[in-house]
Parts: sequence; structure tokens; C-alpha cells
Amino acid sequence: MVWIEFVTPSGDVRRVEASEGESLMQAAVRHQVEGIEAACGGSMSCGTCHAWISEPWSAALPQPEEGERSILDFGVHIRPQSRLTCQIQVSAALDGARIEVPPSQS
Amino acid sequence: MADDLMHAPVPGHVPADRVFAFNIYGDPRLTEDVQASYQSLHRDAPEIFYSPLNGGHWMITRYEHIFDIVKDYEHFSVREMQIPRIENPPVFIPLSLDPPTNLPYRQALMPHFSPKAVSAMEPKLRAFAADFIDEVLARGECDFVHDIAARFPVSVFMELMGMPLDRLRDFRALADDYFKARTNEEIGALGERIIGLMTELVELRQKEPADDLISKMIEFQVDGRPIALGELQSMLFVMFLGGMDTVTNVASYTYRHLAQDDALQARLAADASLIPRFVEEGIRSFGVINTPRLVVKDCERFGVQFREGDMVLCVLPLGSRDDRRFENSAEFDIDRQALTHLTFSSGPHLCLGHNLARMEIRILTEEWIKRIPRFSLKPGLRHHSRVGTVIAIESLPIQWPV
Ligand code: HEM
Ligand code: FES
Repeated sequence: MVWIEFVTPSGDVRRVEASEGESLMQAAVRHQVEGIEAACGGSMSCGTCHAWISEPWSAALPQPEEGERSILDFGVHIRPQSRLTCQIQVSAALDGARIEVPPSQS
Repeated sequence: MADDLMHAPVPGHVPADRVFAFNIYGDPRLTEDVQASYQSLHRDAPEIFYSPLNGGHWMITRYEHIFDIVKDYEHFSVREMQIPRIENPPVFIPLSLDPPTNLPYRQALMPHFSPKAVSAMEPKLRAFAADFIDEVLARGECDFVHDIAARFPVSVFMELMGMPLDRLRDFRALADDYFKARTNEEIGALGERIIGLMTELVELRQKEPADDLISKMIEFQVDGRPIALGELQSMLFVMFLGGMDTVTNVASYTYRHLAQDDALQARLAADASLIPRFVEEGIRSFGVINTPRLVVKDCERFGVQFREGDMVLCVLPLGSRDDRRFENSAEFDIDRQALTHLTFSSGPHLCLGHNLARMEIRILTEEWIKRIPRFSLKPGLRHHSRVGTVIAIESLPIQWPV
């Protein structure tokens, strides 16, 4: 089990259990983390699973692929730390990661 | 159509306890409260069932099942979206293409429907909404469907596409006729005229590019080659079909509720910041699309055997009203916990226009409540709806004090 902390738009910190192999989005949705809408269910067709992942955790992740980048290019509240959580596989390297959910997805 | 013609034999892999006859094109269980009356299926029908009517098809009514099916394109394809099945089904780009074929088109379109892109249209949309409402304001009454909800999205669509304003009248009349058409011949002929009009526009923008979606679409590259005219026509037609009638009907059903809810009218008038929640609850409560899929590979899901060639209908309005996900799902409650629903579907074909649709209904409501904070249904009238894969209300006469 991997523990992830989501800082929600209301400022709450939600500490949730995630399994290796699922996506960060799936873990967030399973625990109903506020602000992770994931309208397309991980098909990379919506951009509503956006979150900010900072150092040191971001360093452990593969760079975003073309499709992810192009969705982020047109999103709101985009920062250098922005990622689509449906494209990130949970792994031991993310244990204890603190992930911030932006104030809105649109 | 005689019922016995549509009554297909039940295939052998469908167990008898899963058979439940339901006519999506006019079941007597459906009342003028279409979405609410559909909910009787959650109580009375098997969890997933096979209706032998209309050529025979599965009906999926629970959030969790629909959510899985619309994502699982390897088994449940969008290649055919007609119930009953027809010969030579039309190809709609990107709607009737499965991944990965849909991707180049979807990815080219997505930036133009992103939150950022649609919010740039906000001032124009606000002016359209204000104009339509001002036209009826002094009358103290209108048919909300005809005078407001059907007109507003047509203007939005033309603005998005960059249609010259001198074509507005033509185009509005054509859109009006198209969505009212009943026979296949009529629909076919009007569809051709719409495609013709869009083709003219494509040709115009090839000569004189402007800052609009059609000009940008002409520049799309698909797999490293310029997009073909036939592809453009198909995409434009899907946006026409998907972007107008849907907004009209979701807004109309939502206002049908609001007209009967004085307390909610008072809350919205006192606090406009509640409007986005109101819009979201309207969209959740009043889904208007049932989306079909064709089984292209045998599989077992949720304890049911699906066989290649089966048609499957995902009843999206029921997914959004599933009481396993939404507490008191039949209640219109703008304070409920925000959870994703299925009115816009999900998966690779999640409605491309969802940001735009939300913005349209929000802006319409902001402008409406400012001018007409109190209104009610004209008494004694029934509000007939057409049902099928698309659910549409025919009229909504309302009144307000002047
Ligand atoms: C409240 C209004 C709307 C509703 C309820 C709605 C509903 C839907 C649904 C359910 C689908 C997907 C069907 C499936 O999974 O098979 C869809 C797809 C689509 N919608 Fe919407 N829609 C709305 C507004 C709009 C608007 C304003 C536009 C923009 C012009 C639009 C454009 C599209 C397009 C292009 C697709 C095809 C997407 C694809 O296949 O990738 N829709 N819509
Ligand atoms: S869930 Fe839709 S892009 Fe991630």
C-alpha cells in the first residue's frame, strides 16, 4: 500500500490509501477526493483530473506524453507542476506524496 | 411501425429472467416527467435487461455499469449507434470511431472546447442571452423551449463556427426544421441542406480565413496529412447534432423544474453565486441522451453474457439518477455533494462540448434571473416529450408578472 496526501480546494488534507498499478486519479476517485472530477474516467479526453505535483515527488515520474501535455496546455490553473492524475501510475516512489488539487477544473 | 415487426426473437444467450419489454420510442411507463418516470426501471426491471422490442437490445441503467461500458471500446463499439440496427450506418467523426481512429480528430478539436477557449466566448454569449430574454420580457409569457432554449444555442453555434450573421435566419430556420423533422426522408433532406450550408462556409473560409473554428479546422492535420472535406463535413455535422438540441432540452427540463420551485427561484435571485450548482444539478437531473453501443467481441460483464452483434443502450439519464451513487437521486438539490454524473457520458467520447454547454446554461440563467426572478408554468397544460435515443420536450409555456 502507498499513502498519498491530497490537499483539496477547501484546504483539507486527505490522506488516502492507493494501490500500486492503479492511477492516482483512480485512488482519488475511489476516496471521493474533492476536486478530482475525472469526467472521462481516465480516457485522457477531459483534463478534469488535473493536480499539482511538486518536487521531490514529480522527479520520480515519467515526463508527460504529448497527449497529456496538449490537454494541460489548454487547461486552467496550469503551473509547471501540473499533471493529469489519470496518467500517473501509483508506485512505491510516491509513498507519502503530497498532491495539490487546483481550485477548479474549468 | 407495427409492434410485431419490431419484436425480435430473444437470442439464446439471454436468460429468461433478463428479458423485460421496454419500448424506448414510446413506452407507456414514460410520463411527461420523462427522466423521473424512467427511474421506475431501477425498481421494476432486472438490473441489466434485454428488451426484445426495436430489434432487440440490452438496457444498462446503473451508473457503475454504464461507466464501465462506455470506456470499454474493445468490446462495446460506437461503430453502430442506431436502434434498431440499420444497413450502412452513417459515419460520424469522431463520435462513431473507436480509439485509436478517433484520436487525431478528438485531439485536434479539444483545445477549441477547453475551459479557456470557451470562456473567451462569454461576453458574446451573454449578449445573445440578454437579447432573447429582452425580446419576451414585456410580454409576461413565452414558450421557453421555442422562444429561448431553442434559439440561444443556434446563435452560440454560429458564433463558434464563425457563420456570417446574414445567414443566421436561414440557418436558424433550417435547424428548427431539422429538430422538428419526424420522417427519415425529411431528416435526410434537411441533413443534406445543413451539410451544404456548412460546405459553403468551409469554402468561404478556405478563401478568407477568419478567427473562428471552421478556419482552424481547415488547418487540421490528421496523421500528417491535411484534413479532407468529407471529414470536415462529418465533424461539423456531429457538432450541429450534438451542440444544439441537447442544450435546448437540458435547459428546458431544468427550467420546467425551476418554474415550479419558488424557494429555489428566491435563492438564485438572492445569490447568483449559486447558479453554477443549479446548472450542474439541472444537467444531472435531466439527461437527454441514451447512447448505443455495438458488442464487437463476446464478453461477460456484471454477470451477463454479451455476444458479438448485440446492441446495448446506455440510459445516461438513469446513470445520473442512480440512487446507489446519488442520495435521494430523484430530488433536485443544488446543495448535494458534487459527484460526476453521466449526462455527458464518459470515456473516449465524453461530450466534447461539456464546458461550453455548462457555460451556455449558466449565462442564460444569470441573465434570466436578473430580469425574471419569479415565473411559473402556465396552468393546465401538459408538456409532451419525444423519447428515444434523444429525449426532447416540445413546449414549455411559462408566465411571469409584468
Ligand atoms: C447539455 C448539453 C449536452 C449534452 C447533454 C451532451 C451530451 C453528449 C453525449 C452524451 C455525448 C457522448 C455520447 C457517447 O458517449 O456516445 C456527446 C458527444 C459529443 N458532444 Fe455533446 N452534449 C451537450 C452539448 C454539446 C455542445 C454544446 C457541443 C458543442 C458544439 C457538443 C458536441 C459534442 C461532440 C462533438 C460530441 C462527440 C464527441 C466524441 O465522439 O469524441 N455537445 N454529447
Ligand atoms: S480523467 Fe479525463 S483526462 Fe484524466
